[in-house]
Amino acid sequence: MKAQFNFWVPMALLAWAGVLWLDPAPFVSPVPPRVAAPAWATDPTPVRQPKLRPEYRVAGYTYQCMDCHRIIPSPAETFRKLTQHPEIQLNHGINTRCFNCHHPRNRNAFVDDFGAEIPWNQPQLLCAKCHGPVYRDWQAGSHGRINGYWDPARGPQTKLRCIQCHDPHHPPFQPLPPAPGPHTLRMGAPSPAQHAGPRDPLRIFDRTRESSSH
Amino acid sequence: MADPDTSFQGNPPGPGEGDGLTRREFLGKAAAAAAGLSALAAAMSPLRHLSDDALPSVEEFLQKHYKEMTPEDKERALNRIREQVRQRYGVEANVTDPPPLDGVEFVYGLNISRCIGCRKCVHACVAENNQSRAPEIQYIRVLEMEKGSIDLETANHHYDPPQVPRPDKWYMPVQCHQCANPPCVKVCPVEATWQEPDGITVIDYDWCIGCRYCEAACPYFARRFNFTTPQIPKEELNPNMAYLSNRPRPKGVMEKCTFCLHRTRVGRLPACLEVCPTGSRKFGNVLDPNSEVHYILKHKRVFVLKADVGTLPRFFYYFDERGSRYHEPITPETKGREVREAGA
Repeated sequence: MKAQFNFWVPMALLAWAGVLWLDPAPFVSPVPPRVAAPAWATDPTPVRQPKLRPEYRVAGYTYQCMDCHRIIPSPAETFRKLTQHPEIQLNHGINTRCFNCHHPRNRNAFVDDFGAEIPWNQPQLLCAKCHGPVYRDWQAGSHGRINGYWDPARGPQTKLRCIQCHDPHHPPFQPLPPAPGPHTLRMGAPSPAQHAGPRDPLRIFDRTRESSSH
Repeated sequence: MADPDTSFQGNPPGPGEGDGLTRREFLGKAAAAAAGLSALAAAMSPLRHLSDDALPSVEEFLQKHYKEMTPEDKERALNRIREQVRQRYGVEANVTDPPPLDGVEFVYGLNISRCIGCRKCVHACVAENNQSRAPEIQYIRVLEMEKGSIDLETANHHYDPPQVPRPDKWYMPVQCHQCANPPCVKVCPVEATWQEPDGITVIDYDWCIGCRYCEAACPYFARRFNFTTPQIPKEELNPNMAYLSNRPRPKGVMEKCTFCLHRTRVGRLPACLEVCPTGSRKFGNVLDPNSEVHYILKHKRVFVLKADVGTLPRFFYYFDERGSRYHEPITPETKGREVREAGA
C-alpha cells in the first residue's frame, strides 16, 4: 500500500505541473478596455468666438452695422424675431430693448448710462451697467477665464471678455455634453443599488423599503 | 498479503540498494523530485515574459532618495528617465526638475456656482500628466450632488446625461487638496512623499514601495495606485515632464495631482484650469496680494472640503454671492480700469 502511495503522489504533482504549464485557465484582467476621450474633451478653445467688431456678414459680404442702419430704423422693443437678424432671439431677462445696449444713433457702438458711446471691443463696460458685482469680480479675476501664465511677469495672460463665454442676447452659459465618466479600477461601473433613482436628501428613510414592509 | 519486495530473494542488489535505497524507492523519489522541479518551473514560467525593461537597472536600484541626491545625481537620474522614455515610447522627452519658487505658495480656488460638471478638466489632466489610459487613472473626480446638500455619501461621479448641468444638481470636482497638514505624508513608512516649500505634496516614484497607506489616509480619495504597468499610447505621451510630477510611472507606485508642477513652477497655469470652459478654476500665489486667489480668499465666500478633519487644504471652493457687498460701489476710478491699464 505504501509503495502505491509513493507512486501516485509524484504522478499527481507531475499532472498538476502539466496543467500549470498548459495554462488552461488564463488570467482574466479586471482592467476594463480603454474608453478613449474625445478630442473636444481636451480642447481649451473658448465656447464662443465673437468678432468684437461691429461687422455683419450676409450673402458673403461683410458690412459695418452703420452701412445699413444709417437709413434703416430698428424697433425700440421687440418680442418677435427680427427680419434682418433672424439668428438673434433676445432672451436677456427684463432687458428687452435693443437700445438698452446698442447706441440709438451709432449702431457701430454700444451706449453707456449717459448716452455716450462704448467701443465694440470693450463689451465689459456695457455689461457693467447692470452686472456691477460680476464686473468687479471679473476685474479682480475671480469671475471669468484667464489662460496662459499665473505669473504675468513670466509670460502672457489672456483674459476673456464677457461675450466670449456668454451670448449677450441669451446670456446663461450654455449646457455642454459631459465628457466620458470614469472607468478606473476603483471607480468602475456604478452599482445599480447605489445610484438607483433620484434621491431626496431631506428624506432619511427609504420610501420603497417602507412601502414593501407594510 | 505478502510484501512483493521480500518475495524475490535471488535478485542481485539494485543500484543504491547497498545504501538502504531500493530501486522502487529510488524511482519514486526521483519522480517526486522531477515533479517538484517541473512544478517549480511551471510556477516560475511567468518569468519567461519578463523583459530587461521590467527589471530595475543597477543604477536605478542604487539611486538615493530625492532629497539626498546631489545635483549630479539628479542629472544622472533625469538622463536615465530620458533614456527609458526613448526606449519605451520612442519619444524625445524634455525631463526637468524645476525647483520650488521663492516666496510662492500655490493655492487653488474653484467656483462651484460656475462649474457645470463637463469633466473636461478630468481628461485634460490625464493628457497632461501621462496617467495610465488602461486601466484609467484620473486625479480629478467630479461629484454630482442634489442642490441644497453636500452629501458626499450619495454623490454620483458616474452621471451621464445628454447635457450638463442638470437643473436640480450641482457639481464639485475633487482632486488633491495639497493640504498644509497632510495625513498622507505622515503615514508614509519610507518618506517617499513629502510637502515642498511651495505647498505641493509630491512623490518620489523611485522611492515609493506601493504600500498604499497614503491612499487610505487621504480623506479626499486623491491618491491613485498603479495596479498594473501604465499603458499610454506613444502619440499621446506628453514630452514635457518633470521628475516629481508627470514622468511615466512604474507599476506598483502611488501617484497624485501635483498642481502640474512642471507647468506651474515655470509660471504657467495647470492643465485643468486651462481647459475649463467656464473659468471656474482659479490658481495662483496666495502670498501675492494682487493675485486672484488672494482676492478670492479675502472677498468671496470660501469653504474647504471636510474642514473637520483638520488637513488645512490649499484647495478652496467658493461661490458667487448675490446682492451683497453693495457697500463697495463701482466708482469712476474702478470702472474701465482694465481699458486704461491696457492703454497705458
